[in-house]
Amino acid sequence: MAVKQIQYVIIGASAAGMAAAVAIRKLDSGGSITVLSEEQDMPYFRPMIPFIISGKKKFSEMMLIGQGPYQGANIDVRLNSRAESVNTTDQTVTIKSGKELPYDKLLIATGSRPKIPSDLDGIEAEGVFVLRTTADARAIVRRAETSKHAVMLGGGILNLKAASALLERGLEVTLIIKSPEVLSQLMEPNDATLIRDALIRAGLRLITGCRASRILSDVSGVKGVLLDDGREISCQMVCIGKGVHPNVDFLRQSGIRVDGGVVVDRFTACNAPNVFAAGDVALTFNSTTGERIATALWTNAVEMGHCAGHNMAGQPTEYAGTLGVLNATQVADVPLVSIGIVHTFGTHYETHVSTAPKAYRKLVFTPDGEKLVGTLFVGDISRAGLYHYLIRENRPVKGIKSLIIKKQLHYGHILRETI
Amino acid sequence: MSQPKEIFARLDRCVGCHTCDIACAVEHSKSKNLFEATSEQPAPKNRVYVEWVPRHHKVPVLCRHCEDAPCMHACISGAISRTGEGVVITNSDKCIGCWTCVMVCPYGVIGRHMETHKAYRCDRCPDLQSPACVNACPTQALVYRTIEAFSGDVRQKAAREMISGEGR
Repeated sequence: MAVKQIQYVIIGASAAGMAAAVAIRKLDSGGSITVLSEEQDMPYFRPMIPFIISGKKKFSEMMLIGQGPYQGANIDVRLNSRAESVNTTDQTVTIKSGKELPYDKLLIATGSRPKIPSDLDGIEAEGVFVLRTTADARAIVRRAETSKHAVMLGGGILNLKAASALLERGLEVTLIIKSPEVLSQLMEPNDATLIRDALIRAGLRLITGCRASRILSDVSGVKGVLLDDGREISCQMVCIGKGVHPNVDFLRQSGIRVDGGVVVDRFTACNAPNVFAAGDVALTFNSTTGERIATALWTNAVEMGHCAGHNMAGQPTEYAGTLGVLNATQVADVPLVSIGIVHTFGTHYETHVSTAPKAYRKLVFTPDGEKLVGTLFVGDISRAGLYHYLIRENRPVKGIKSLIIKKQLHYGHILRETI
Repeated sequence: MSQPKEIFARLDRCVGCHTCDIACAVEHSKSKNLFEATSEQPAPKNRVYVEWVPRHHKVPVLCRHCEDAPCMHACISGAISRTGEGVVITNSDKCIGCWTCVMVCPYGVIGRHMETHKAYRCDRCPDLQSPACVNACPTQALVYRTIEAFSGDVRQKAAREMISGEGR
């Protein structure tokens, strides 16, 4: 008797979707895998799109299939195929063309889209951008070619990278943030001094403690930004980077439970049968605190997608959850790593801070001091993975605590603790 | 198919002489010669680290080329992949220096090349029959064997110790 070929349908062709596709292919060589993408480009490493703006890399250098772990054969990626709705009774997905696609197993991996502040007027003007896709990056490049000054709204990692890319192109760039310092999701204001200095050295103008209330424009598009303190800044383009929303609107009639993001259990499954979710769109949980969280991190999306792929292909795999903060990057010439709980102002966490001219670190322990729950390294991030391991595994750190605080820990210590 | 070999560290044999990390840096230099390597710019980097745990323990630490390598899955530019021989390698042309691999490596063995702004790690010396660190180790604390052969040795050694203990 012939075994029925399983039809896997994956909505979204970025980190979570492609990691799932590859995992499924490893476990099920015969099933059909269809990945739906609303974009025009083949899957790519989304965090690399600032390089399109700086011109340092071509699109062909950031394509995903065939690189790193993305080696699965026979995965049918359909571009320009936005999913419009899901019918969980008939087990079908309707795509933009009106075509219905049946599924045996479905993964929702539609990711997220940039938040647009509702209190900002004038965003329809030409020259106002968000940065999410290669198409966005190309549009930014076109406008940048005739612009002298760009204003960036929001101080997250992506906006800082976009700002650096525009600086590299030779534009003047001003970053406007409501918080007192940049990267407020990854550190507290007092932690950000080295980063601020690095940005200013790189040529960025930083305006803190205020927000843009209106984008000013004429027939040629953006000509300035009006701030809430009444100041007016002349510019030719604006980039909005104020976080993201999960892409869940198309699930409205589906019966799939959504609470901000798509609600999944520990095995990445939704409330509807044979439907799974992973990546930015999924509401997962924090492995330290157990709280429900949605993260928008490539690394998390890959891990969760990989896990969902196993579950879809019939190999139950529990997702261990994630940390709300898990970022490594380099801002201008300063590297940084931020992991776990790093916002400690007004809390009872035991916090150890060390400041040096070129390095800053903050180690956060539980109030009883027994476990490491957060780490921020700025300037010197060597061996950060050991600290990530301790946080993630919830390990008591008694015997090695002073080494952690002094950042002298190496794998030998962990090994000797174990054996 | 023959089993792939791995680098194993026998902690009881390591005397902490650092010969392995010098040999590693030399093998990853332009000249592949100690005398010239010492003056090369940028300085050649070692990818094996001999750590010291007070008071008497020396621990050579190097990339384990993990089966489900966290660095490979976490990489945001597709720079990390596994070769047919099972070696996890970083392609420095593709590396963008975001340091995500450094953040997720539970062994802390991915280095950062400041001059080139690229991550680097053990590549098991693709040009050599066996890795430079293993070849250089004067006490055979580092060995290059298949898992099967190495675990066979460990079992035999344990059996011998047990028998000799019983005979006493």
